Amino acid sequence: MTDIGLIAIGAGLAVLTGAGAGLGMGIATGKAVEAVARQPEANSKINALLILGLALTESTAIYGFVTALVMIFTMGK
Amino acid sequence: MQFIMPSVGKWIAIGLSLIIGAAALYLRARIATPEKSDEGYKAAKKKRNLLMMAGVLALWLCSGLVLGCFSLGSRVFEVAISPTRMDILGFSVSSTVFIAWVVIAVLVVAAALIRIFAIPRFKETPRGLQLLLETAVGAISNLTKEKYGHKNEGLASYFFALAALMVGSAIVELFGVRPPTTDLSMTFSYALVTFVLINVYGIHKKGVKGRLQSFTKPNAVIAPFKLLSDLAVPISLACRLFGNMLGGMIVVELIYYALGAFSVGVPAVLGLYFNAFHPLIQFFIFINLSLTFIGEAVEE
Repeated sequence: MTDIGLIAIGAGLAVLTGAGAGLGMGIATGKAVEAVARQPEANSKINALLILGLALTESTAIYGFVTALVMIFTMGK
Repeated sequence: MQFIMPSVGKWIAIGLSLIIGAAALYLRARIATPEKSDEGYKAAKKKRNLLMMAGVLALWLCSGLVLGCFSLGSRVFEVAISPTRMDILGFSVSSTVFIAWVVIAVLVVAAALIRIFAIPRFKETPRGLQLLLETAVGAISNLTKEKYGHKNEGLASYFFALAALMVGSAIVELFGVRPPTTDLSMTFSYALVTFVLINVYGIHKKGVKGRLQSFTKPNAVIAPFKLLSDLAVPISLACRLFGNMLGGMIVVELIYYALGAFSVGVPAVLGLYFNAFHPLIQFFIFINLSLTFIGEAVEE
């Protein structure tokens, strides 16, 4: 196996972080929908909290993505 | 650029799609729209919509086939993680930095023009530009008040300037240049300003001793972890914005690459999401997180 093949496998493994982020974001959104259904008047507060939580959850996926990009673009050279 | 003579089959396909498209649009124009209360209103509307779709699709196919006749050399998918560099007055400057300068210059001129010509004419009841400006300023000012605890004009104006710069640098992608936010050094400098603001506001509010003491709450054991998580803030902010922007850019490039000669119209629709909506959400999150961290540093 060549070096570039190993780099590709590593990059693929790095973006697997997206699975965890997706699960977390789905759970968070589901809970937010439940909360709004139970208390529609708290809509704006729940929305602000949800966006903040999603941003923090998403960062794991983004770190994986950036790691994969760095592997592809700098290690292969 | 070089014109390649298409084969007979391709000529037939071009002609056929052109004829079908024109015929569909002509037929659509022939169908009269009945009154809304009439019997066949829904059926006629459905038929018109279907013919419109068929016509546009056929013309799109035709344009793709015609553009496919012009070869633009070998097409290789290439996205660099770091932008190209250029020489300006003997200095080696990254292209994204130059574009950011252009955006800043345009914003400064626009701000000066608005200050000189628009603001003296503001009236009691806002309309048009005044309404737009008041809504934007009010939104940022409310966000700052909500996160920081009370009104802070300096912080609000800094974040308004940041939002204007970020939106401006996202719009340049529509002109086909690499947006400044896809450069890690650019996003890291934004995040570094946030880091400085967190500490300046924290020290200003509590003093150096109080700021250091806040690391030992609720327990002195967790001080190193709290320090580490504070140092990670600029890195996580920078990587989040950079990763999102570069990801969006790569997706748009991939669409152009995959569609080839057929990339007429379709990338514009997708670009609306990847170049307009997605950056706006990311900038909102960046500003929101910055304000949250600053609010955390100053709270008693």
